[in-house]
Amino acid sequence: MATADETLAISDPERRALAALDRADPRAALAVLMEAYGTPLYRFCRQLVGDDALAEDVLQMTFVQAHDGLPRFARRSSLSTWLFGIARHRCLDALKAARRRRARFQLVADPPEAPDGGAAADERLAARSLRGALRRCLDKLAPAVRTAVLLRFQEDLSYPEMALVCGARPPALQARVARALPALRRCLESEGVRP
Amino acid sequence: MTRCTRFEDEGLALLEAGRELDEHFAVCADCRAARAAYERLGQALAAAGAELAPPPGWTARVWARLDERRERRRRGWLLAPAAALAAAALAAVLWVVPSRPPPAGLRLEVAVESASGRRGLEAQPGDRLVLRAAAGGRPHAELRVYRNDRELVLRCAGEPPCRRRGDTLEAVVELAAPGAYQSLLLAADAPLPPPAGTLDDDAGAALDAGADVAMGDEVDVR
Repeated sequence: MATADETLAISDPERRALAALDRADPRAALAVLMEAYGTPLYRFCRQLVGDDALAEDVLQMTFVQAHDGLPRFARRSSLSTWLFGIARHRCLDALKAARRRRARFQLVADPPEAPDGGAAADERLAARSLRGALRRCLDKLAPAVRTAVLLRFQEDLSYPEMALVCGARPPALQARVARALPALRRCLESEGVRP
Repeated sequence: MTRCTRFEDEGLALLEAGRELDEHFAVCADCRAARAAYERLGQALAAAGAELAPPPGWTARVWARLDERRERRRRGWLLAPAAALAAAALAAVLWVVPSRPPPAGLRLEVAVESASGRRGLEAQPGDRLVLRAAAGGRPHAELRVYRNDRELVLRCAGEPPCRRRGDTLEAVVELAAPGAYQSLLLAADAPLPPPAGTLDDDAGAALDAGADVAMGDEVDVR
């Protein structure tokens, strides 16, 4: 029978990954982390780099780099915070490379909508309109600002966690987000969308 | 009648800093409406991107990438003795027929001099941006700094405020206004095209003209 600790470990990807590291098994740790954080990291990267293929490439590079770093992981932050820090660096590298190719911040078309039987057509249209406008407005923010907004609102990170990911102090990040919100609101209103 | 903007001006920053709002924000109709709008914006931001998921098979591609790299390293070790012999042979040829070494790569270092003691790549108006670049042996090199990717605030190739000593190009520029400051080093064997538009346009024109372009870290001035 599993002990309480073992049950807790199985329910928590961080603990499972750390346990794998304790067993000197970084591949097992990486498998746990990819399953737990692959989707949020992809979402973060996709909205930072603005391109499906580039986002997957950055996601892959993030986990390849994580695999190399896992044996030396110092446990000064959570594994998820550490992963977001790696992903942020790789995204910024990708953005700079894309800039050099003059393909920076290209807006991609909205992905096809999944049928939603519950919502009325006009509600779906409004949601799609808001989502598209929000994506365009997020895209207009500087990468550092966009990063802070995404981590704050989508990944629900605390400011101390964001500071570890972004390498900036929490007050600077708080100010960055507080300045971004009115800019986003004005941008949405200019697109005819009222939040 | 003018609308009260205290929530946007102060309330948002207070909330993000985890501080309490004073009585005004509870009684002011404009501020209450603004707070409700920003709460809806926060919810919309949280929901944005919820449909995004990595394409199927991505984890397999990570494993394949790791395995491919491991295999490449293993082959590298096996071939190391042969590579060492080849390198020795090449060195002998180069010693007999010395050739001009390839030019060093471009390098652009960015730092902030701040009276307030701020560190890193954040600054405030009045701070100074210090640029130091290596032109990689190219005779034509320029430093450029763009504010918000659109406004060219510095362009120099050796004349003040730049200084060129050999391959090194240095400049100090005051960060007069808030914004994101992006530094570029352009270097080429032929004269560089003059700036004509945005950072992207100008970097693209330089690349099209055969120049090399290096970007420095972005500095956020608030």
